[in-house]
Amino acid sequence: MNVTTIFILHGLVYAGLLFLVSSGLTLVFGMMNVLNFAHASFYMLAAYFSYSLLIWTGNFYLSLIVCPFLLFVIGAAIERFLLRRVHVLGHVHELLLTFGIAFIISELVKWVWGTAPLPVTIKGFLDGNLNLFGTVYPTYRLFVLFCSILIGLLMTLLLLKTRMGIIVRSAVDDSEMVSALGVNTPKVFMFVFALGAALSAFAGVISGPLLSTNTGMANTILVDAFVVIVIGGFGSLIGAVIASLMIGQLQSFGVLLFPKFSLALIYMLMAIVLILKPSGFFGEKK
Amino acid sequence: MEKRIFKSIWIWVLIVLVIMVSFPLLAKPHQVNLLTEMIVFSLYAVSYNLLLGFGGLLSFGHGMFLGLSAFTTGAMLQRIPGLPFFGAVLLGTLIATLVGLGIGCLLLRHKGAYYALLTLAFNALFYAIAIKWQKVTGGDDGLPIKRPNIHLGFTQLSMSDVTVFYYVTLVVIGCALLFCWYFTKTAMGKTVLLLRENEERMQFIGYDPSISRLILFTFTAFFAGLAGSFYALFFKFVGVDAISIDMTTTALLMTFIGGTKHFFGPVLGAGFYIYFQNFLSDVTDRWPLFMGILFILLVLFVPRGLSGLIQSLVDHLRKTKN
Amino acid sequence: MEILQVKNIYKDFSGLEVLMGVNFIVKANEKHAIIGPNGAGKTTLFNIISGKYKPSSGSILFKEKDVVGLPPHILNHLRICRSFQITNIFQNLTVFENVRAGVRSQVGMRYHLFKTPDRDSKINARTEEIIEKIGLTEVKQRLAHELSYGQQRALEIGITLSSDPELILLDEPTAGMTREETEEMVKMMRSVAENRTLIIIEHDMDVVFSLADTISVLHNGTILTSGKPEAIRNDPKVKDAYLGEE
Repeated sequence: MNVTTIFILHGLVYAGLLFLVSSGLTLVFGMMNVLNFAHASFYMLAAYFSYSLLIWTGNFYLSLIVCPFLLFVIGAAIERFLLRRVHVLGHVHELLLTFGIAFIISELVKWVWGTAPLPVTIKGFLDGNLNLFGTVYPTYRLFVLFCSILIGLLMTLLLLKTRMGIIVRSAVDDSEMVSALGVNTPKVFMFVFALGAALSAFAGVISGPLLSTNTGMANTILVDAFVVIVIGGFGSLIGAVIASLMIGQLQSFGVLLFPKFSLALIYMLMAIVLILKPSGFFGEKK
Repeated sequence: MEKRIFKSIWIWVLIVLVIMVSFPLLAKPHQVNLLTEMIVFSLYAVSYNLLLGFGGLLSFGHGMFLGLSAFTTGAMLQRIPGLPFFGAVLLGTLIATLVGLGIGCLLLRHKGAYYALLTLAFNALFYAIAIKWQKVTGGDDGLPIKRPNIHLGFTQLSMSDVTVFYYVTLVVIGCALLFCWYFTKTAMGKTVLLLRENEERMQFIGYDPSISRLILFTFTAFFAGLAGSFYALFFKFVGVDAISIDMTTTALLMTFIGGTKHFFGPVLGAGFYIYFQNFLSDVTDRWPLFMGILFILLVLFVPRGLSGLIQSLVDHLRKTKN
Repeated sequence: MEILQVKNIYKDFSGLEVLMGVNFIVKANEKHAIIGPNGAGKTTLFNIISGKYKPSSGSILFKEKDVVGLPPHILNHLRICRSFQITNIFQNLTVFENVRAGVRSQVGMRYHLFKTPDRDSKINARTEEIIEKIGLTEVKQRLAHELSYGQQRALEIGITLSSDPELILLDEPTAGMTREETEEMVKMMRSVAENRTLIIIEHDMDVVFSLADTISVLHNGTILTSGKPEAIRNDPKVKDAYLGEE
């Protein structure tokens, strides 16, 4: 049992989760120039929905499908009815709105499910260990990693090979131009926003058995996701992948090596990158 | 644009002054305490609005100035025996201002989302430090504070007295609020509006937006710091909440609900927020939800906030009178 | 005296070459028009002279000093001021405050914490003067966004004037105006440009010929030719490139 390997794997698992959350965040910012403070709230909401669904039906795999779908619809509704309304009032206003939504979701969750952390347990095949080249590692964590990679690949396929994907990538690059070419940009925006919410939701569901399901979980992953998109560059998915990997390892080994400062380290890293290279490593200057 | 309800704003000032001065004579101690809290947070919210409403800058780090000052005030009172009341206030405010200057220099070229994120990062950083640096901040337990009495030579003001503390707060914070109001009439106060309205054009008529932003940020850090030291002395305690992101969002909520377009909007917002926090928390634990819903409704439908609503009402009444 | 010398200005945007060696000279108090087909790079040239962009290479000598690369606010202090083709004013401030902002910047009252512009009679008098010159005295307390298009264009010039420039750059000041508005604008510009050097980008040839004493033609990223209005009018090269497109 190689301790280093275990921590590396821990870092990869968290990176996978982070990527799922930050990919939507970075696409939305790159395309619509909106920093969605509520993005991690979708993550949290889905985790709580999943908890209840699990109690109700006992079927974890059902949550994996239902919750992202639910949040897709919620995300689409938020974009269509709330965000779009406020768009004309300017960027500051959009930020205020997403902040307000995040705040309300947080309070609603506390109201409905209470403030105590909720246990989410998994039974069956996923609850166990696998022997990976001599290292014994929890199956569930590998499952999380597997899901993240799978979704990452699916997204890449979607973006590179489908017509919708090309439109989305162009819109991230230059939404005005895309609109001038006759594409229904509002629809694209709504789709991407909703997709981001769904991805975030998926991450929320699979985080349940892994991390704590509590009322602070949105803030915790939100700041990490912000750090990822700052370092990776607004609008860049590759950047999000690389930055997620970095932060994942930093979190993993940081907790091991500098337990007192690991939290502070990450914020300092974000601040340094923002000051020195505001566009991140792969992003466009906005 | 300043609009007047009576012919002169000074009549209003006089009315408010009379009410504020006579309040302790007519109200119960816990009500006086509530008003003191409102006054302190008024300054906090007003300073935030100078950034948001006047300068067009959305900061997610204002809480760090309140918290830094609060902790400095508390820590200094613990470590320096015989530190006078205003010495503690001065130290706290100074630290907050210096940090504001330092961070402001790093923010020179950033706008919009970058500005929000950077200020958020610094706030989170200070929060993380505050939690870990238990020796100074007391960590999760926090810092208890004893209010020093104010020695005036011939007599001594007992700061543990609710009414005395109220009057001292009223005078000091009142003057600070007045100065902030005066600021909006000064050259810098006008320049800040240009920053909000058209940062590009302001360059072409000779203003440096970076310097403007720096001066504004430091200026507001000073007043948030002043509010912070009074915050610490008022509650006689500082916990990590004081420097948390929640403290920043409180500023945002108070300011926005009160209305960002008028100077006194945030004062209204702070009063409203604290009053309902006090009133509703007896009713439900989830009173923040009420604030959140109000906030969203205002963002969507009444961006000018409560003071904007009052303004419209007054205009309407004036029109129907004519 | 040659107040402005533009020497060999090149500008490309990530490979797209817009200005490919622009050279021309403007004499003090000259009224110099720059004309040319759309996309020739006229506004880019203005942006470079006024400090918004840095050129890829070349220099700009203002009163013999190279000012290339200086930021806009420094160039303003040197009294080079420009107006914008797309109205770029302070929408939620009054006409008075719009103009006064530039006036008070010019006298150095920019970041003072203890001086109030309201109390400064000199600044307020200057502001009134300028507002009168641009014909907006009646609406001086109105918010800028409440003005008509023509009034906003006048305010646009007023803001440019408020910095008391030695060199004024006007970018298509009559864009989108009716015949009457244009005539009014030309009168205003003539009075505004008294004792100052003016460089104006214009498409309206009537305006050009009634204001300018020198014309430069910008075509394909370089100056095709410069000269007196009559000479330009009759130049076959110019007719080919531009006037012939009518």
